[in-house]
Amino acid sequence: MRKTFLLFALSLALTTPAFAGINVVATLPWIGSAAKEIGKDKINVTVFAKPNQDAHYLEAKPSMILAARKADIIMYNGLDLEIGYLPLIIESSKNPKLMPGKIGNFDCSQFVSVVEKPTTVDRSMGDVHPLGNPHYHFSPSRVLRVAEGIARLLADAEKGNASYYEANYKAFAERLHEKEKQWRTASLQGKKFVAYHKYFEYLAAEFGFQFIGYLEPKPGIPPSAAHIEGLIETMKKEKPTAILVTPAYGMQEAESLSVKTGVKVIVLPHDVGSMDGTTDLISFWDKIFTSIDMIKN
Amino acid sequence: MKSIIVFCMVFMPVLALFSATAFAEDQNERLNKLEESLKSQQQTIEQQQKTIDTLKTQANQKSDQSPPATASTPSSPKASGLFGGSTFTNPNISLILDAFYYASNLTNDELANRGIPGFTTQGLDQRNGFNLDSAELFIFSPVDPYSNLYVNIPFTEDGVSIEEAYVVTTSLPAGWQIKGGKFKSNFSRLDSQHPHAWDFWDIALPYRAFLGGEGLGGEKGVQVTYLPVLPFYTQIGIEVLQGENDLLFGQSAQEGPHAFTLCVKSSFDTSDYSTIYFGPSVLFGKTDNTNILPGMEVRANSALYGIEAVWKWKPNSREALTIQSEYLLLTQSGNTMDPTTHAVIDPLRRMQDGFYVQGIYRKNRWGVGARYDVLDLFYDTFKQGGVQQNFGGTPNRTTASVEFNPTEFTRIRLQLAHDLSDPSGRTNNEAILQFNFGIGAHPAHSF
Repeated sequence: MRKTFLLFALSLALTTPAFAGINVVATLPWIGSAAKEIGKDKINVTVFAKPNQDAHYLEAKPSMILAARKADIIMYNGLDLEIGYLPLIIESSKNPKLMPGKIGNFDCSQFVSVVEKPTTVDRSMGDVHPLGNPHYHFSPSRVLRVAEGIARLLADAEKGNASYYEANYKAFAERLHEKEKQWRTASLQGKKFVAYHKYFEYLAAEFGFQFIGYLEPKPGIPPSAAHIEGLIETMKKEKPTAILVTPAYGMQEAESLSVKTGVKVIVLPHDVGSMDGTTDLISFWDKIFTSIDMIKN
Repeated sequence: MKSIIVFCMVFMPVLALFSATAFAEDQNERLNKLEESLKSQQQTIEQQQKTIDTLKTQANQKSDQSPPATASTPSSPKASGLFGGSTFTNPNISLILDAFYYASNLTNDELANRGIPGFTTQGLDQRNGFNLDSAELFIFSPVDPYSNLYVNIPFTEDGVSIEEAYVVTTSLPAGWQIKGGKFKSNFSRLDSQHPHAWDFWDIALPYRAFLGGEGLGGEKGVQVTYLPVLPFYTQIGIEVLQGENDLLFGQSAQEGPHAFTLCVKSSFDTSDYSTIYFGPSVLFGKTDNTNILPGMEVRANSALYGIEAVWKWKPNSREALTIQSEYLLLTQSGNTMDPTTHAVIDPLRRMQDGFYVQGIYRKNRWGVGARYDVLDLFYDTFKQGGVQQNFGGTPNRTTASVEFNPTEFTRIRLQLAHDLSDPSGRTNNEAILQFNFGIGAHPAHSF
């Protein structure tokens, strides 16, 4: 009996967080990366989605619930992208700090202007997000706003370090602006592309290029033969620069379309860490622009 | 021996919790210290409040001059609710239609009378041909900042019932949660899941044998769960239930709540892409019904022990392998009685078990599954008046399934089963083509 108790006490002692710092859980790698840019070593970040996982199809694992139980703040993409698992994680975490309305419930999309918000939507249109396209992390300017929001949140949560977070945000903004000048030289203005999924709409909006078609006939619905034939016709007329695809989603279909049309495939990371050399947000965008830029030569 | 192991696994964590109270001697000393620290904390709080007040006045003055940064964000579409932003004034509503085509070598009469000898006299509900299982209405929403309400109302051809209607607290101290109302018990795995979330069309044989074709189903009561901060996920839960299941308990079992459960669920990730989930649970209660033996009432004390284990491997978002197994052990001791006069006929002692193992592999839109169920695996004690009864063999069943999921809202499943659950009767070779459609906003399923 005594032994059992000792074991129990020991396990409690081992797990009581002895380290200081704010515990942050983030649903997606890019959010974790943004939080890390601002919080650096003053926060502990746990990310739910692995870099090669698709944010649309995550499942609420008990380990995520436990991480949420220990968290001070939960940061998420919002726009209903995580609707399939996040409510369950928050409720099951039994952590009142993370409930909506509390400072620990941080919806990153609150800082973002949304594109493609449908006026009417039902599920016959496929997996359309009623609140608009949720993949705004491709837009550096929008993520910068989120980072600003994170800096303010962390300053609220830990007043003593407010200037530290502010300084980290400023440093991040500066690095980003420097890089952005370089990315602007990629001259994407007016170019035409084909994509598998509606991932890159924010990138297109920000850098002035457009999509003439998608391999998916509707978001979340895999392409049929008839749809591909129609797409090939459009591609013949419009002559797009390339087919954009992500490693986790539709590679095979994009390759086969490339063979049929002679249009090159560009594989772009869908999130931080999903491809080699995309260890943080800046290198993630860097990878995108260098990959697209390579095609013109 | 095995039951002892089960028992130990259930109670070890609980005993460990209780043993903490043994250290009460130094409590007074600790209380004094606590009081001291409380006093000093109060002083700190008062000081901080002063600082906050001054800061607030300063901030108010500032905000008059320049709007806060968020206000400049264009048309922020903040999805503020816990369950998303699609509905603000109405609760989330969804409807799930479950329909199927059934084909068997047995006649409808044989199906209706097909019990499992030594376990249940309850027959099967399905008939050859087209069947409509139900259209289940789900309604859920936060009530206020303190709780969420979930209601599940299945419409069937026989009428409407309330399968679940419960609130879950959301703002108790960290780690604690109370569920109250009519809900699916946390006892074992299949019981806590909605039937449309099962990996097969029907419930596993041990459940049918001990709890009936629907499992334990919704029970009225209260559940308290605690999630401690441990190196891996472990949730401890207790429930007090009215106990109305018509096979394990019975409407007439006793006035007032008489069923109790104790559940421990643990889980850890075996790799970045695989997770194991396991735990023991036990369900106690009083049995009084006429569904166990033909033409007889059984009145007894019962305990049902369960162990569940699930291993899920999900190498990428569109591929998953799930292996799941459960073991249930029933002990029951009481009497058989005349159902009309309630006169005792014989003492009854049962100790019977059941086991199933199933695997399902899903890739993209397709899935294939296999399942094996068996009863009386290690224990088959069924003594009426001290005499072991022979029901003619070991009931078992083998099942295979193929499913097509065009989207996450539609499931079409073909299931074939070779059912030997009535060893003295005929084999039931069945084929089911099941259709599941969901519309509206449905709450996320747990792991």
